[in-house]
Amino acid sequence: MELMGNIMMTAFVAVFVENTIFSRALGTSTLVVVARNRKNLFGFGLCVTYITALISVLTYFADKLLINNSNSYVYMPVVYICILGFVYILTLLCMWKFAPKLFARMRKYVHVSAFNCAVLGSMFLISKYCETLSDYFIHGLGIGLGFVLAVYLTAIVYDKIYSEKAPYAFRGYPLMLIYLGILSMAFWGLSGHTLNY
Amino acid sequence: MANDNSCKGIIKNALLYKNPIFVSGMVIAPVVVMANNILDAITLVSAFSIITFFTLLVSSFVPKNIVYTIRIILYTIIGALVYVPSVILMKYIMPEGVEALGIFFPLFITSSFIISRSESIFFLETKGKMFLDIIFCIIGYDAAVLLFAAIREILAFGTIGGTIIGMPIELSAFQNPFGGFILLGLVAALFRSILLFIKRVRQK
Repeated sequence: MELMGNIMMTAFVAVFVENTIFSRALGTSTLVVVARNRKNLFGFGLCVTYITALISVLTYFADKLLINNSNSYVYMPVVYICILGFVYILTLLCMWKFAPKLFARMRKYVHVSAFNCAVLGSMFLISKYCETLSDYFIHGLGIGLGFVLAVYLTAIVYDKIYSEKAPYAFRGYPLMLIYLGILSMAFWGLSGHTLNY
Repeated sequence: MANDNSCKGIIKNALLYKNPIFVSGMVIAPVVVMANNILDAITLVSAFSIITFFTLLVSSFVPKNIVYTIRIILYTIIGALVYVPSVILMKYIMPEGVEALGIFFPLFITSSFIISRSESIFFLETKGKMFLDIIFCIIGYDAAVLLFAAIREILAFGTIGGTIIGMPIELSAFQNPFGGFILLGLVAALFRSILLFIKRVRQK
């Protein structure tokens, strides 16, 4: 029961409280690009979640093998990039071999899903905060789901943000940043702030 | 917007019409979270400039005939390799600044700026123009970050470069990432208005 509670809590923290977009703005540039096309949102979300979950497991083993001295901050990014590259190629090869139709549709989204700050950032975050393999995996999964939630919340208002009704100075990108700021403020509240009456 | 590929057009686009921060929205995560004051912003732009310039310099030698799937991996591996001497150098020059940057320093490796600009070799005719584009985009990014950090420091802390300037009120919410998002949105809107005003004045 305690284990289940821990798993639920870790996932909740990763998706909502420590949401990569709303708490650290990681992957905001990717979000701006991906939110444009709602049609492939599900596929993109699945791809990001799969990649963050898989790399979290590989990151665990890399961390256990390589983080053993104070200079690891110098070479660990190289190791993480190699892991990302490996997962990227593995994903493309598997899709090409076993799901050619999916490969044709998703090919242009796989590199956006793999090589962005949210994914690389998730490796550094889980490396910093997690201890056990299950922690790594659940946190990785949660980060992926949190990113998808952020993309979804942006995609649903995308048309309004870019609408001609919005004042020209604010239309599009500036309004999107303000919207993300408001959402970020709401999510920030989840970490608990009490008022002094 | 300047559409031409002339040197003047490239410079104008990089600094103004396609400014990486205020218009294109590239590499905004460290700006939203870290650019709270000018001193942190200086560390941020130094790290960004070193990693981006040398990564793009080496990436320009990646042959065009390699497929995009492999090219993108090469760009990020080059970025990761450039990161190693960059972090050692930065740690030597400004150790506290590097500590403050935390995970945002290595994240420059996969920045959208590097990925998109590495591909610019395919639509700009010469390497000279490509480097002009890269250098002025970096300058545009750095200037925008420093300007944004200065505005944010004044509003959030009532200081500029650590010196108290006696603001009547400090809006401390702007220190947080959500404040960074909102303020960046407002500054981007202001920047667009200024560009529009200049355009109208010129047309008259």
